[in-house]
Amino acid sequence: MNHRDEHDARRRAFLQRAGLGAAAMGVFPLQGLAAGHETLPFGNGERELVTYPGKRPLLRVTTRPPHLETPFSAFSEGAITPNNAFFVRYHLANIPLRIDAKTYRLRVGGHVKQSLSLSLAELKALAAPVEVVAVNQCSGNSRGFFEPRVFGAQLGNGSMGNARWVGVPLRAVLEKAGVLPGARQVALNGLDTPVLPRTPDFIKALNIDLALSAEPIVAWSMNGADIPFLNGYPIKLIVPGYFGTYWVKHLSEIVVMDHGFDGFFMSTAYRVPDNACQCVPAGTVPTATRPITTLPVRSFITSVAGGARVPAGKALHLKGIAFDGGSGIRKVEVSEDGQQWRDATLGKDLGRFSFREWSFDMTPQRKGELKLLVRATNLRGDVQPATASWNPGGYARNVVETTRLLAV
Amino acid sequence: MNILALTAVRACSAVVLVFGCGAALAQAVQSVTLPLETARLKPSKLAGYQIAMQKCGICHSADYISQQPPAMTAAQWTAEVRKMEHAYAAPLSDTDVAQIGEYLAVTYGGAKPTLGPVAAAQPAPAASAGAPAGEVDVQAVLKANACLGCHAVAQKIVGPAYHDVAVKYKNDPQALARLEASIKAGGSGKWGSVVMPPFANLSPQELKALAGFVLKQ
Repeated sequence: MNHRDEHDARRRAFLQRAGLGAAAMGVFPLQGLAAGHETLPFGNGERELVTYPGKRPLLRVTTRPPHLETPFSAFSEGAITPNNAFFVRYHLANIPLRIDAKTYRLRVGGHVKQSLSLSLAELKALAAPVEVVAVNQCSGNSRGFFEPRVFGAQLGNGSMGNARWVGVPLRAVLEKAGVLPGARQVALNGLDTPVLPRTPDFIKALNIDLALSAEPIVAWSMNGADIPFLNGYPIKLIVPGYFGTYWVKHLSEIVVMDHGFDGFFMSTAYRVPDNACQCVPAGTVPTATRPITTLPVRSFITSVAGGARVPAGKALHLKGIAFDGGSGIRKVEVSEDGQQWRDATLGKDLGRFSFREWSFDMTPQRKGELKLLVRATNLRGDVQPATASWNPGGYARNVVETTRLLAV
Repeated sequence: MNILALTAVRACSAVVLVFGCGAALAQAVQSVTLPLETARLKPSKLAGYQIAMQKCGICHSADYISQQPPAMTAAQWTAEVRKMEHAYAAPLSDTDVAQIGEYLAVTYGGAKPTLGPVAAAQPAPAASAGAPAGEVDVQAVLKANACLGCHAVAQKIVGPAYHDVAVKYKNDPQALARLEASIKAGGSGKWGSVVMPPFANLSPQELKALAGFVLKQ
């Protein structure tokens, strides 16, 4: 059993104990709410499972600002990530703790014909509601697996989720305000603010073409319910295909600009090397960078965790997910050696921005370590790379994943 | 478990039916109560430990640090602290950056200490340490201990406004002693989930002067 498998085995043992413990203890006060632990398979990977308002036990990344990761086992429950399992990520500690939907306003201004201050009812009346199933993935999802390691939130693979979002197109809001000629970007701000007045606020920007396209929506519903408080209640910007950094929570302010927005979280943070692989040789500094944008193609096995024991000589029904930045998934392949690949069967298509489930039937032929690799190809022809690339931010990881099982 | 404290109109009543049920849902006032902060920085005799408790904690909890990769070097840690100053406007002097960088690299990265002994950097000014409370320069102590990073007189920043503390303890004959103890030991829960670090380095006179100052606001 290698190092990683030991971690996985320990994690399962912890989870089993945690499950029993939580059931026995029943109601748990808000403090001291550790519901067990998981150990992510990298240095300093021990994580407490904690229960936050509206959430099942999630892995605590940081307490303040709240940052919680979805335990990977949640992805075995289906293509849609339940609201109470969805990861939580704030950048700034001064977060809203109470929101009155009745007095909530979305302000729109800048390079427009008329500024707006929309109530939620007015927002909903702007256009017919649209619906999209889309993956929200942190730019730094899987950062903990980077070698050499980099500073930042040390995430496993659980800082992603897939949900059904309902809202109005962002462009309906912009058209109501009337975008003036010469508009270049749209800046988007939420209710979270920095603790110190000189710390940059978390504000993101979309190019005007993207902002006026059909895809971004201002959503109020997630999987048929209000958006959970910690995911951005009452309204959140959804940018299908784009990394989660653009999915502004508690969306409160939209400013159309006739120039490029140069705030910290666009001009300095969340940038990738300005080349095709978004990568540089490990440990080096890129000469040019650009803002991170869309999700590269990825796939995971979800039906079985690394380190699990499976019976040799018996049928094994593997399941998993694949996704990309919006071209859609063409195929998913499974391999035991990285040389011979066999096609998995794709599941129901919930839309090109969604997790695509897949399944694969196999029989472990002999006892011992069983190494399973899974590789997705999208409809543009992008294939997951066999080896991991590197960038200093620890962003956009999409190497072919390897799951090691033990056939017994 | 008490999850979202929903205090509102969640019913699809006749009054709101005209807007549809979705509109009724959106009438809810929602609030969250965050769990108490439990993460603590690893204690150290290095000067950077005290500074880190007082200044890093203004903006983020200690688990931001403990989860970083185990083998980062002193140069990497110091660069990270420098980023906090430059990118996020953390109120850090050059000395603070160097000392926090050293503390983090030694405590969390296994580096060897390189700066001088701890005594050089007790944050409270030595001049007021032995003076009677009445002669302590309160503003100097506030500044030296970065109190004003988290507190202001009139409004809440991270911790409560001094005025709000004074109001809370207005009719408490034990107010001075309670406040001295709170400043010395730190804690959380009285004003919210955020932890106030302990200020055990302050002299009894300084504690008394600070507590007296706060109660007058």
